[in-house]
Amino acid sequence: MNSLSELQLDALTEIFNIGAGRAASSLSEIVGDEVKLSVPCVQLYQSSEINADTLSLNSPRLGAVRQHFSGPFNADAMLLFTEERAMEIVHDMMASQVDIEDVAEYEQEAMCELGNIILNACLSSMADMLDLTLNSSLPVYFVGATNVVLRQIISETNQPLILVLHIDLSIEKRHLQGCLVFLLSSSSLQKLLAHIDRFISGI
Amino acid sequence: MNSIPAKNEFAFSGEIGGNIAENIWDSIKSGLILVDSEGKILLWNDWIAQHSGIPAESALNHFLGSLFPDGLAAPFKTALRNVLQHKLPIILSNALHRSPLPLYPLPVAYHKQDRMQQSVIFTPIVTSEKKRLCLIQVTDATLSIKRERVLKSHSERLNKVAITDALTGAYNRRFFDERFTAEFGRAQRQSIPLSLIMLDVDFFKDYNDRYGHPAGDKALISVVEALKSQLHRPTDVVTRYGGEEFAIILPDSGSEGGRIVAEKLRTAVSGLNIPHGTSSVADHLTISIGIVSYQPDTSCNATCFLEAADTALYRAKHDGRNCVRHLVAPECGKPCPVDTPQADSPD
Repeated sequence: MNSLSELQLDALTEIFNIGAGRAASSLSEIVGDEVKLSVPCVQLYQSSEINADTLSLNSPRLGAVRQHFSGPFNADAMLLFTEERAMEIVHDMMASQVDIEDVAEYEQEAMCELGNIILNACLSSMADMLDLTLNSSLPVYFVGATNVVLRQIISETNQPLILVLHIDLSIEKRHLQGCLVFLLSSSSLQKLLAHIDRFISGI
Repeated sequence: MNSIPAKNEFAFSGEIGGNIAENIWDSIKSGLILVDSEGKILLWNDWIAQHSGIPAESALNHFLGSLFPDGLAAPFKTALRNVLQHKLPIILSNALHRSPLPLYPLPVAYHKQDRMQQSVIFTPIVTSEKKRLCLIQVTDATLSIKRERVLKSHSERLNKVAITDALTGAYNRRFFDERFTAEFGRAQRQSIPLSLIMLDVDFFKDYNDRYGHPAGDKALISVVEALKSQLHRPTDVVTRYGGEEFAIILPDSGSEGGRIVAEKLRTAVSGLNIPHGTSSVADHLTISIGIVSYQPDTSCNATCFLEAADTALYRAKHDGRNCVRHLVAPECGKPCPVDTPQADSPD
């Protein structure tokens, strides 16, 4: 019962790609260069199926930016990326603004902003397309060993369903692959799907 | 004091009157600005008034963008627009934006040149009448940046202390162990040459006995200075291996280059002419040097390479001291002497 039809997945992919477009233009404004961001695919997993392979995040350490959002359905949205590559991108972004040696700790805040831009863009396009209102907490950033970060996701027992968006981000010469995951309860997923179905029938 | 805008949108519990709320936000040590969906200012707390140099009377009911002669930075405007439109919170990090608003350290009049470092948070607020407002919180990031710089310089200093020999200022054994493992690994992986020098001050115990420990300490300091003066590549550094024994790793140096360096080191220390009346090899302080060179693509490992350097040093001592002895370590456990002229004659 908790699987998505081809049509529903297509609709979600489309919605999130619109969000990705918005995020890319915000990021371009900061970087002053072209930024490409796309969401090639969306998948639904049970939390028990989540590991570094299903997320294609094979790196000893992951960085994560998390926002809790609420509305017609509730979810925790997390942007996950390999720490090393994300740092490279943040460094590039900062290099156009400031001296690199100034910033070690500020990377974290910058990372938070990067995640915030991408998460907000995806949430806002979902809200717009599905014609609903979503509220969100401020972003929280944390970084840790991959298994520790993943365990956090899996251990959310009241949100056993995980919508996974694979994300490709290119800034200047850098390329970053990450994941946006939505942790959902079963009832939140049903509500999301009801909105999706309404959206599909409205096209 | 700021006055709450005439069309006050706030409601407080009976316990807290508007007056108290006003006192609260004026006491807060960060900037609070509330704007409506048009960008008109509804709240401008004391902190922001002080640091912008714009009093509340001049700010309230004006448009945020019109208050500043240079207008607002593009990312700031985008963030504000997005918050009002999508009602999702946004942060502008200090690392990526530095100083989005023209705010200055106090007193503002003296600091008009340098803007305050800021972190900004935008939070959407929807009133009971469904009006969309945006709360802008500005925090001064200057202190955190300073703190971070101090911590960084402390940690750099401690890192330096942790790898430095207190007496001579040479690198210490801990540094040697780490550097040697890394350099040997690199030589092996990339099949590039590597030489290692081990040297020992001749009859140093007798020197200490004759001239006293303070003089011995001074002599070691002079020896290290003399050694350093002969090493010109930043990668070639003197490490105190123990007591009066020193080691020098020479990355990318084969047997020929390594031997030249070793001979220069021996000459330099001898040239210090530190009198040593109880030395059996000269009337001044001298050193014995063992050097071993790595042959790429052989089975030699780090341990046997280190042992070979020790063996070379032992030979130099055995052969009369104040001389250089050289080994290449082609296969593990079988260091072989290089065919070199015997005499490294004492000066």
